[in-house]
Amino acid sequence: MSYSLIYSQVTGHIPYLLAGAWLTLQLAAISFVVGWVIGLFNATILSYGPRGARWFVQGYVTFFINTPLLVQVFFIFFVLPEAGILLSPYAAVAIGMSLNAGAYLTEIQRAGFASLRRAEIDAATAMGFSLPQMVWYVIVPHIAKALYPPLANQFIIQVMTTSIAAIFAVEELTGRAYNVNSLTFRSLEVFSITAVIYIALTLVCSLALALIGRWLFRVQAKVI
Amino acid sequence: MWAQITEEAPRFFGYWNLMFLGEALVNTLLLSWLGATIGFAFGFLFAICRHPRLFGVLPLRILATTYVELFRRIPFLVKLMCVFFAFQLSGAQVSLFTMALVTVVLSAAAFAAEIARAGLESIPAPQWDAAEAMNFGRWRVLWTIVLPQSWRVVLPPLFGYTVGFIKSTSIASQIGVMELTYAAKILNTRGFSALLCFGTILLLYFLICWPTKHVGERLERRLATRPVRQGMP
Repeated sequence: MSYSLIYSQVTGHIPYLLAGAWLTLQLAAISFVVGWVIGLFNATILSYGPRGARWFVQGYVTFFINTPLLVQVFFIFFVLPEAGILLSPYAAVAIGMSLNAGAYLTEIQRAGFASLRRAEIDAATAMGFSLPQMVWYVIVPHIAKALYPPLANQFIIQVMTTSIAAIFAVEELTGRAYNVNSLTFRSLEVFSITAVIYIALTLVCSLALALIGRWLFRVQAKVI
Repeated sequence: MWAQITEEAPRFFGYWNLMFLGEALVNTLLLSWLGATIGFAFGFLFAICRHPRLFGVLPLRILATTYVELFRRIPFLVKLMCVFFAFQLSGAQVSLFTMALVTVVLSAAAFAAEIARAGLESIPAPQWDAAEAMNFGRWRVLWTIVLPQSWRVVLPPLFGYTVGFIKSTSIASQIGVMELTYAAKILNTRGFSALLCFGTILLLYFLICWPTKHVGERLERRLATRPVRQGMP
């Protein structure tokens, strides 16, 4: 026990780490948006689709929720090349995270579909809305308001799960922390600073999302 | 591709490989279940520390709240790296498994504290008042009145989080803990096709996560149908 923490060697790399945090946010946003679209599509099928499609979607959701994201990305990254599809690490992680988020967002949004009032759907049908129109003009606004807190929460989870991209050498926050670690060998310092950046990043995201929610829907979302 | 796999499959599912995967599976289960159990115990402690009726000590409450709020915001991988290097630099002779276990415990405690807090808060205040009026000490209220009622609120989500920790332990492969993901990586490096290696462990993960989640969901339904007795009217 003769180790002393020296932060001065690492502090110079903080701007580099923060630039990685930007990529983290980007990856989280991409996977969240793609996952949200997948989730909306799946939730529509689960509520209004034919039985075969429902089973397929249910299988997808159950499988992706009950297996680790890391192994899913490993699978995409190492198995698809065997089938002749070569993906960059960034693409593999983005696809894996989107599919994974899609499963969780299906679960969340299905609850939103279930909370729709029967009268709203009847009214939409009476006005001759097709299913896509009804989803877009009636259900999505309802879901956006009613499900804002869990959706925002899912985004925060996405921000944290992007850290596994580091394992595939994507240079987001954790990936850059690995880089700085191999440059300076101040491992504990590097990773404790990274942890603090993650805390700050998710706090800023929570705050921003809560403010956006208040401004958009007058949702009284908890700030922290 | 398929021809290669059908050729490899009998070798892949040979005795030694299966023993190897079995050992890895046991390690994954131990890591997640043991870690989650110890972590949940700590989580309860934190929740008790944070409860205004139980602990009047403000610094302790602030400390517990800070821990819970901060540790839920650090990704598992970063936490793992911090624990790993902290152990390494302290010079303690600790196995990789223990390091991963400590990380699971640290995360589980933070998450369980929130669940336990919800459980404790699900007991209406009049029950506390009534018990205090009957000259019950606060620990006796906790043990005989609050805990027996709050476990219904607490138990189902704990299963959901346990599934989360089973999945998180796959990240422990990064420091070289012999669990399922690491085993698959080793088999893959030995030359077996990635589809077989990662496909098999995906299936194994599914086989341990799905029943756990299912038990949690069933418990949730069963416990929800019974009316929870409310406080004094």
